Amino acid sequence: MEPIISVLVGVLMAATVYLMLSRNFVRFIFGLALLSHAANLVIFASGGMTRARPPLIAAGESQPLSDVSNAVPQALMLTAIVISFSLLTFALVLAFRTFQELETVDTDRMRAAEPSPEGAGDEARERAVD
Amino acid sequence: MTGPPYVRLAVALPALLFVWFCTMIPAVSAGEILVWELAWLPQLGIDLDFVVDGLSLLFALLITGIGAFVFLFAGVYMRGYPQRGRFTLFLVSFMLAMLGLVLADNLIALFVFWELTTITSFLLIGYSHENATARRAALQGLLVTGAGALAMLAGFVVLGQAAGTFSLREMLASDPATFADHPRYTAIVVLVLLGAFTKSAQFPFHFWLPNAMAAPTPVSAYLHSATMVKAGVFLLTRLTPLLGGTQLWMETLTVVGAVTAVYAAFVSLGRSDLKQVLAYTTVMALGTCVLFLGSSPVPGPGEVSRGVLAALAFLVAHALYKAALFLVAGTIEKATGTRDLARLGGLWRAMPVTFAAAVAASVSMAGVPYSVGFLGKELLYTVGFAPDTPAWLPWAAFLAAAPVATIAIVLACQPFLGPRPEYPKPGREGHWALWCGPVVLGALGIYWGLAPEFPFLRLLVPAETAVLGQALVSDPGHAPWHSTGEALALTLATLGVAGLGFRMRGAVAEALAGLRRWIPLSGDRAYDAAMDGIAGAAVWQTRRLQSGVQRHYLLIVFATLGLSLAVTLWIKDVFPGPVRWTEAALLEWSLAALVAAASIVIIRSRSRLLCICALGVVGVSTALIFLLFGAPDVAMTQLTVETLVTVIVAIVLLKLPNFSNEVWPSGPARLGNAFVAVTVGIGVTLLMLAVTASPPQPDLQEYFERTAVPGGQGRNIVNVILVDFRALDTMGEITVLAIAGAAVFAMLLPGPRRRKDAPLPGPGGIMDTVILRETTRRLVPLILIFSVFLLLRGHEQPGGGFVGGLVASIALSLYAFVFGPQATRGILRVDPRAVGAVGLAVAIASGFIGSIRGAAPFLTGQWGTLAGLKIGTPVMFDVGVYLVVIGVVMTFVIRIKEQ
Amino acid sequence: MPAGFTAADFYYLLPEILLTAGALLVLVVDLLAPRRDSAVLGTALATLAVSGVAVLAFAGLDTTISAGLLAVDGFAAFFKVLFLLSAGITLLMSVPYLQVEGVRPGEFCFLILCATLGMMFMASGIDLITLFIGLETMAISFYILTGFLKPSRRSNEAAVKYFLLGAFSLGLLLYGMSLFYGVTGTTSLAGIADALAGSEGSLLLSLALILLGAGMGFKIAAVPFHMWAPDVYEGAPTPVTAFLSVGSKAASFAMLLRILLDGIPGLVADWQVFFWALAAVSMTVGNIAAITQSNVKRMLAYSSIAHAGYVLIGVVAASDRGVTATMVYLWVYLFMQLGAFAILSMLRRKDVVGDELKDLSGLYFRQPAAAIAMLIFMLSLGGIPPTAGFMGKFWLFSAAIDSGFIWLAVIGVINSAISLYYYVRVVVFMWLKEETLGSPIVIRPAIATALVIAVVGSVLFGVYPQALFDQAQSATEMLGASAPAAVLYQP
Repeated sequence: MEPIISVLVGVLMAATVYLMLSRNFVRFIFGLALLSHAANLVIFASGGMTRARPPLIAAGESQPLSDVSNAVPQALMLTAIVISFSLLTFALVLAFRTFQELETVDTDRMRAAEPSPEGAGDEARERAVD
Repeated sequence: MTGPPYVRLAVALPALLFVWFCTMIPAVSAGEILVWELAWLPQLGIDLDFVVDGLSLLFALLITGIGAFVFLFAGVYMRGYPQRGRFTLFLVSFMLAMLGLVLADNLIALFVFWELTTITSFLLIGYSHENATARRAALQGLLVTGAGALAMLAGFVVLGQAAGTFSLREMLASDPATFADHPRYTAIVVLVLLGAFTKSAQFPFHFWLPNAMAAPTPVSAYLHSATMVKAGVFLLTRLTPLLGGTQLWMETLTVVGAVTAVYAAFVSLGRSDLKQVLAYTTVMALGTCVLFLGSSPVPGPGEVSRGVLAALAFLVAHALYKAALFLVAGTIEKATGTRDLARLGGLWRAMPVTFAAAVAASVSMAGVPYSVGFLGKELLYTVGFAPDTPAWLPWAAFLAAAPVATIAIVLACQPFLGPRPEYPKPGREGHWALWCGPVVLGALGIYWGLAPEFPFLRLLVPAETAVLGQALVSDPGHAPWHSTGEALALTLATLGVAGLGFRMRGAVAEALAGLRRWIPLSGDRAYDAAMDGIAGAAVWQTRRLQSGVQRHYLLIVFATLGLSLAVTLWIKDVFPGPVRWTEAALLEWSLAALVAAASIVIIRSRSRLLCICALGVVGVSTALIFLLFGAPDVAMTQLTVETLVTVIVAIVLLKLPNFSNEVWPSGPARLGNAFVAVTVGIGVTLLMLAVTASPPQPDLQEYFERTAVPGGQGRNIVNVILVDFRALDTMGEITVLAIAGAAVFAMLLPGPRRRKDAPLPGPGGIMDTVILRETTRRLVPLILIFSVFLLLRGHEQPGGGFVGGLVASIALSLYAFVFGPQATRGILRVDPRAVGAVGLAVAIASGFIGSIRGAAPFLTGQWGTLAGLKIGTPVMFDVGVYLVVIGVVMTFVIRIKEQ
Repeated sequence: MPAGFTAADFYYLLPEILLTAGALLVLVVDLLAPRRDSAVLGTALATLAVSGVAVLAFAGLDTTISAGLLAVDGFAAFFKVLFLLSAGITLLMSVPYLQVEGVRPGEFCFLILCATLGMMFMASGIDLITLFIGLETMAISFYILTGFLKPSRRSNEAAVKYFLLGAFSLGLLLYGMSLFYGVTGTTSLAGIADALAGSEGSLLLSLALILLGAGMGFKIAAVPFHMWAPDVYEGAPTPVTAFLSVGSKAASFAMLLRILLDGIPGLVADWQVFFWALAAVSMTVGNIAAITQSNVKRMLAYSSIAHAGYVLIGVVAASDRGVTATMVYLWVYLFMQLGAFAILSMLRRKDVVGDELKDLSGLYFRQPAAAIAMLIFMLSLGGIPPTAGFMGKFWLFSAAIDSGFIWLAVIGVINSAISLYYYVRVVVFMWLKEETLGSPIVIRPAIATALVIAVVGSVLFGVYPQALFDQAQSATEMLGASAPAAVLYQP
């Protein structure tokens, strides 16, 4: 299974990168969503993937009887899901407000570009009147 | 003398210090070394020890003695200038810093004082701030000397590492060969010389000094002639026994010194501004000192080499006459309103005292026999003709000295003799404080020439001894200032040539002006070019890197990552092993294909709705993968999150422009983007293959499996980890969620400048049909009950606070859609923010319970039974999580609906 | 729960708990108190102070708590005090600024406190996930704070840029962390160190390191991960910029040091190369770009990028001396950088934005005390003695030379020389230029307090840095030696 997940993560990452490089803030947010899926799959695969039973302990037992799947990456993924959910929520609000303020979602048009070089080194330009 | 009281006090300070230093002469000239120790940073090896030995005493006397006269002069000269208090403060600070520089025993402390003199010099040059020339000169001086000083600091640090100490005394006590043979000797010398050469205005860094003449005259006299610019020479003298004597040292010093001296001497001939003339002759003097410091190897025991003594003698002579001449120049300018040599003349009758002082100083400057200048020059020539110095050396000195002697004659004659032109000012003798300094200093220059025992035996020879660490054996019967026949002849020749030059000065100046046109490069112009170059490079670089376009930024990052990857591959030369394409069933393949297809839809589609759906497909497919591989908790959470995300993305996207008008990057750029994306994808895949090739470490997994029930009282291991073992992380995670909620609230507040055409809050929901209303009314309570069920069983079975909260939020969102935000607020009863805050508080409180009851760490699970039900703080914690989720999501939904 | 815990363990989390409670209290006070501004500020400052007392009370300890997720040691305490102090100064300078901008301070103070909370977890976390969550808490607070000026186009743009690149960088970081987890099977730093002990680095670990380094590179604003910084620094409200450039940077360095020295000391050869390059490029690009700037905030952004490079020198040195130098420099940087921003906040008036160079013209003649303070900050940033900045740089460069990184030190020195140009230019404007128009400049008590603290720090630690060095040194000794997170890791 791991090779498939590897390929899948690759596909998701490629899509993420492509979306993030587009000029549209909304597409970027889609990219962000895909990125979080990719991250979850990475964590999941890193912990080892087997078609095992869920990490539950039967009543009356103190340990799982059979092989169960690794619980640690699952806990990590739940954390990651919450975080990316928070980020996504924030991203949406930010996009919404940005559109209200700037009337665009085109990131190329959001640029506090470098100020002109005038005023740069003007002290150096003050020549001696020798 | 007059002026505000602090000006008078300021004069007293150098005078008193001077007297104090004078009292040390007997002891120090007898070879004693006075030390004041002050611990500063012992563990860094930096102490604030002050050492008075022959060399530092000589400099201290110059600083305070000349300082007293300069302060006196400034008290009158600066009358009518604004902000005299500030001026005086800077001048006093400078003097103290300069004293610190020459007295400090620790190299780092020396550097600190060195930089302090740079700063005060900057402030004093820029004193006439309304003048653009002064501003430029101030900055130039600071940048040139400051940059040099930093190089010097680096040199000091390397030197300190080589010596194992920063203390000069300890360094000098160690074997000099330690340094000369040190592998980093060249680096040390180059770095230290950069500092010394910039400070002491050596070619090609000399240009800042003539420009610094924009400062008021007392400053020029004090800082830029008599004291500060000599700091470089001082340092070279100090370090001669450590670093000197090698071929590198000697060749660099002699060549740089000679070029500086000769160049500056000839330039000074072509200038007519008094201060410019004095500035260039100062550069010449500094060059001469450097030349002679490098002239000869460090003498071993029993050898006679007087390079150091010659340089010091010349330095003292120069300090005396040049300070006097600067003050004379200031007096003349004050009296006549001009300092242009071409417009001066005939002043001797009106200003006899100043004239006398100028003549005395010029005599010393020209090196007329029986002046200090003469003795200094004699010594120079004597050293120059010594067998172990290069043969060209005395001739270089001669070439520099002759024009300066000419200048000396010009300075004594031009302003005072000849016809008297009309001056803008009366042109009379000024206040006594103005001429007092020149007279005393000029007279001293003559007197010491006649009676050289005191300055040589009490000041200069002790200084030389302090430097070289031993008294040099000189010929019995010969005083140190005794010179040889060749030297005397050359001195007289210098005077003769000078006289000739004075007669033909018009022709000489013309020839020089002609020559000047042929030299395309000057240090000043190079400085401008360098500044412009840096500014240009800065603009270019900044425009490249900082385009303001966010996707360019990302591209740079990808390029960097790619580069690092390539470099690593190249260095490490390893690659993941063969891939095991096993155990892959059809179901998994089809899920993967589904995700890939959905991703392509998200990239390509111009329909927002389709994109949202595709996003949902990706989410659901991954959730299925999690379910397949034994992660029902994750799958469940993923599914509910996905549902909620789809809903809120849909709400927001409706308020944003649709994709029909979106602008994509141009064709080639898109191709490039695609290339980057595919490369990243392939790279990530390879990485993943490598990670998953090795079996995971089971330790942690087994630990949790063993301890979940006994330690965490739970049968759902994932949940136990989240709310008990790693509850702190979960705490942090819901804090992030809560902050996001605050963000939503803060950012969606009606701003002061809300646009008029912003959508108004609608009265009800968007899908307002009767059937939907009725369905919702019945469905919502059911879902809410289900969510509580999920919450409570979380510790034993898949479920938990987070997924429960999400389910509840979905229900409430549905309600908000149908009945509108106001109605939803109604059934919540309280502001959703409050729900979130209560949730956070409950979660924190659950942590305290454990601590209070069981004296256990924060957030340690505590269990008990209440009315037959097993309850524990982790459940309470989960309730907190549940509430936070509801609070945040509902804040978002209600807020955005209200917009 | 496992044995070995005592009742005192609970109290070790007190600084963080107090901070959280205080943050919630700020919101309550904002709703209830009639004279909001001073009450809110007072509550927030009191929270910081109380939390600071709690930190100092445990400063001498060296232990781990919360099942090995957090360390309570001198290293954490050193940084926590730094965060609390910089948050305090930020609050002092922000209240008058926010009055002019017409923003209510409630949420603002709340978010500052939340960001501080995140930083504290970054300093004491000894588990990748805890560190990541701390970072996330801080980052999301800053995303919001950056866009806090609602009517400002620049502020909004800044928020978008910071968020987009920030979220992306967190992705990189998370990815890097996952790889470490994948290889070692644990997220505890000590566990990772144990698992890697003896094994020679692999390609995979190098890549994990690169991703981790890139993610952290964003946070410390090191070239080439710096591009967000100039736009964000210029657009964000001045106090936010100040806190971002000091607190966020220091916290990220704390986290970086923890990960590198506690978690992956075995890969030292790899990360030295990586951060060597980052340091050299950051110093050079930052300083050269700063030269052309006419906007002081933007200039300070580039200067801050360059400073990330200087501080990285200490990390590259990877010796006790280097780490101490890094920590000392971050402390020193707090005073000079916050001081400079306090001056800019002071210049913000109804009719003047106050972040252009020309706005500083003739400051000496209008407010000599403020001009002298700014002079000290600029000299300190430029590394000119006898200011604290000099001591910091000196210590960094000597550490580099000590560890054999001569060239890095040389690059640092050359860069310091370049940087003089633009720092002094500020001084030239204040002292040597004519006055400009604009309403009178008033130094409010809050700003004055901030300035006094900043000046005292910038001078005191230049003249007498011994105390700071001692603290940093003992904190350094605890790093790397912090007790392994035995609970989680031992089978």
